[in-house]
Amino acid sequence: MAALSNSNHRLFMAALAMCLPSSSIIVSQESQRPFECDGLAVYQQLPMVTVLPETLFQVQDVLRLCSEHGVPLVPRGAGTSLCAGAMPHAHGVLLVMTKFDQILHIDQDTASARVQPGVRNLALSEAAAPLGLYYAPDPSSQIACTIGGNVAENSGGVHCLKYGLTVNNLLQVTMVTVAGELVTFGGDGLDEPSMDLLSLVAGSEGLLGVVVEIKVKLLPRAPRVQVLMAAFDNVISAGDAVAALIGQGIIPAGLEMMDHLAIKAAEDFVKVGYPTDAQALLICELDGTDAEVEDQLAAVSACFSDHGSYQIRVAKDAQEAAALWQGRKSAFPAVGSISPDYYCMDGTIPRGQVAHVLTRIRELSQHYGLAVANVFHAGDGNLHPLILFDASIEGQLDQAEALGGDILTLCVDVGGTITGEHGVGLEKMPQMPYQFGDAELAQFRRLKAAFDPSDLLNPGKGIPTLKYCQEYRSLQHA
Amino acid sequence: MHDLTPQLVEQVQQARAEQTPLHIVGGNSKSHLGRATQAQPVNVVGHSGIISYNPTELVIRARAGTTIQELQSALAEQQQRLPFEPPHHQGLATIGGTVAANQSGPSRPWFGAVKDSLLGLGLINGYGEAMLFGGQVMKNVAGFDVTRLQTGAMGSLGLITEVSIKVLPQFNANETLVCELNAQAALKQMQAWGNLSMPLSGMCYWQNKLYVRLQGSVAGVEETCKVFSKALPLVVLEADLAQEFWQKVTERELLVAQEKQIMWRWSGPSNAPASALDNTEFINWAGSERWALTTASDATVVNPHVTQYRGGDRSLDVNPSINAHDQALQQRIKHAFDPDGLFNVGRLYSWL
Repeated sequence: MAALSNSNHRLFMAALAMCLPSSSIIVSQESQRPFECDGLAVYQQLPMVTVLPETLFQVQDVLRLCSEHGVPLVPRGAGTSLCAGAMPHAHGVLLVMTKFDQILHIDQDTASARVQPGVRNLALSEAAAPLGLYYAPDPSSQIACTIGGNVAENSGGVHCLKYGLTVNNLLQVTMVTVAGELVTFGGDGLDEPSMDLLSLVAGSEGLLGVVVEIKVKLLPRAPRVQVLMAAFDNVISAGDAVAALIGQGIIPAGLEMMDHLAIKAAEDFVKVGYPTDAQALLICELDGTDAEVEDQLAAVSACFSDHGSYQIRVAKDAQEAAALWQGRKSAFPAVGSISPDYYCMDGTIPRGQVAHVLTRIRELSQHYGLAVANVFHAGDGNLHPLILFDASIEGQLDQAEALGGDILTLCVDVGGTITGEHGVGLEKMPQMPYQFGDAELAQFRRLKAAFDPSDLLNPGKGIPTLKYCQEYRSLQHA
Repeated sequence: MHDLTPQLVEQVQQARAEQTPLHIVGGNSKSHLGRATQAQPVNVVGHSGIISYNPTELVIRARAGTTIQELQSALAEQQQRLPFEPPHHQGLATIGGTVAANQSGPSRPWFGAVKDSLLGLGLINGYGEAMLFGGQVMKNVAGFDVTRLQTGAMGSLGLITEVSIKVLPQFNANETLVCELNAQAALKQMQAWGNLSMPLSGMCYWQNKLYVRLQGSVAGVEETCKVFSKALPLVVLEADLAQEFWQKVTERELLVAQEKQIMWRWSGPSNAPASALDNTEFINWAGSERWALTTASDATVVNPHVTQYRGGDRSLDVNPSINAHDQALQQRIKHAFDPDGLFNVGRLYSWL
């Protein structure tokens, strides 16, 4: 998409100044610098202009203006995306929604909350805590990431094995279309007759509209929560233990796995008492009534022992449980502390393929000469291989990206997907034609056009263009 | 047990060439839902069979014409179940129709709707292209969620050829508790209990009684029975009576519309008063779903969000009306999948 001509640029900026107070418009390069990338900092781009609207009318006006002038628009929450989904467009508007940070209503009777999109994920659970409720999706970035961003990416977290992703916890979404119109999907009830547009918006990466209000389901805090950790001397046994546990019919609230490199990095970083000699660690959280948890605890411990765990530690209290989780939740920064740079992948595979895929990742790691630490949501087969590299060494970023690409195509080959919860964004565009055929990709483009006929909303992300796919296919043939 | 995808694709392509609208039929168990329409039937019931089922992965993949009964039998052999507890309508209901009509049973508030268990599906669009979306893994955010978009679309966006579903283990214990209560008191109790972290899987009001179903581990169900029984004089319903009751709820056979009667469904906030829907006879989903009967002659239902679920004049719109922006958007979405208007035209809405 081309830049506006000088005269059109002047007209557009003058019109923008009519829609928004000057304090909501950022034009200088220096002030826009913090917005040039999201959590995937290897992709950077300054936008034409950054705006931070404060009212719904301002959002509608900005969208109408962009439509009128053919200016691309990228919506952004806290900027914690790990797929460059919120990277600005060089000739476009970056629409930052962080000023929409109000929790509008928490309803104890119906266990639900109405929030603005800029509300932080953890802030909602904190606000609901006095009522004994919480918001279940809990991505590792929950301290910073916003509910609006969670909707855009259909974020998961360590508890989505039992409680689902964002899509499973949404009740209603109000969105401004590219034409500036307000549309509402979902409602106060359940399963009203309609195509499921609410679910379509979840994970649509800002390509269909700008979400301005969200109603989510809240869950009751379980009377008892128990966390345990099990150490294994090889990853295959740990992977088998996971499959066996689920196969027995036990669905823990969370079931996470870390490999040796990740365990060591996490322990060095936060010192929570992980056994650093272990080749694999499982962290398992059980919740429910006292009797339910007691039953499951015995079954889980037996299952892990049967599959070769040489050390099982059951957290004695909430403090110890928090410490066990802290190690896992700090795994990304911990790996960051042992390597100048790291690149986080997000493939999902059938649980039964865990051992095979981990073995293959080790081979790929040796082939590329880059170390890979594995942290993942074992219960639902969502891998987060962290590729360690040094961007200051010429060619290493390219190598890391190539290794990452190989890991993602491996995930597709074993029946999985290139992204479980981080989204496609700009980053995984090269793998989209690998996962989908031409008919599916064309269908995605037609669906996008039904919402955004001129392709102004977050263009160049999520869904590759026909030209992009043709180039990909011809490269494959060559 | 046949893969009829090539034949179905051919039928759609032919219909496109001849510009003949199609009426998608599975087990024909849901002909009473949506608007009455006339079009050439395309039969999916022969396109059936389980494609793959791996119990340790908790995933089953089946062709659209596979009956709910067949799926449930296969799952039962491995002590697993469909989390959304769909009706099987005398063994006729298929999984494709269940997804299209978005039919979930009494456990819906606690175990989710069809969409919550849906992982992927196959769809033939109006271009006659067979496509696959989603997959067999638990988390997948690549591309738009075309899979879940189909739930409730009543076949308006294409012909579903197969689905992949997340399944769950069966419960070890099952208990139904009953107490005499009027509708308002029953609703109050549902609000008090419905959002607790307890092994709940059904809460409804029927003929001056509150019914509470508990399903989960033996210890969890026993413990909850004790807690609830302290608050209300609850009686344990005998197992076979309980099974019969919940089966009728699941099959939507508890409330029966006589000839010339209209059955209305309304879903709203669970804490809405008993008066939210006139003539309410049955309250399901801990208050989130209300059902009423009227005779056709006095079918004045005040609530604008109500659905004319069964009976009455079905040539008119039977679903609540929506605003002009949403309507135009849904028409554009339909066009994106079905540009020639081949699939189930007018079934969901007169304008779609």
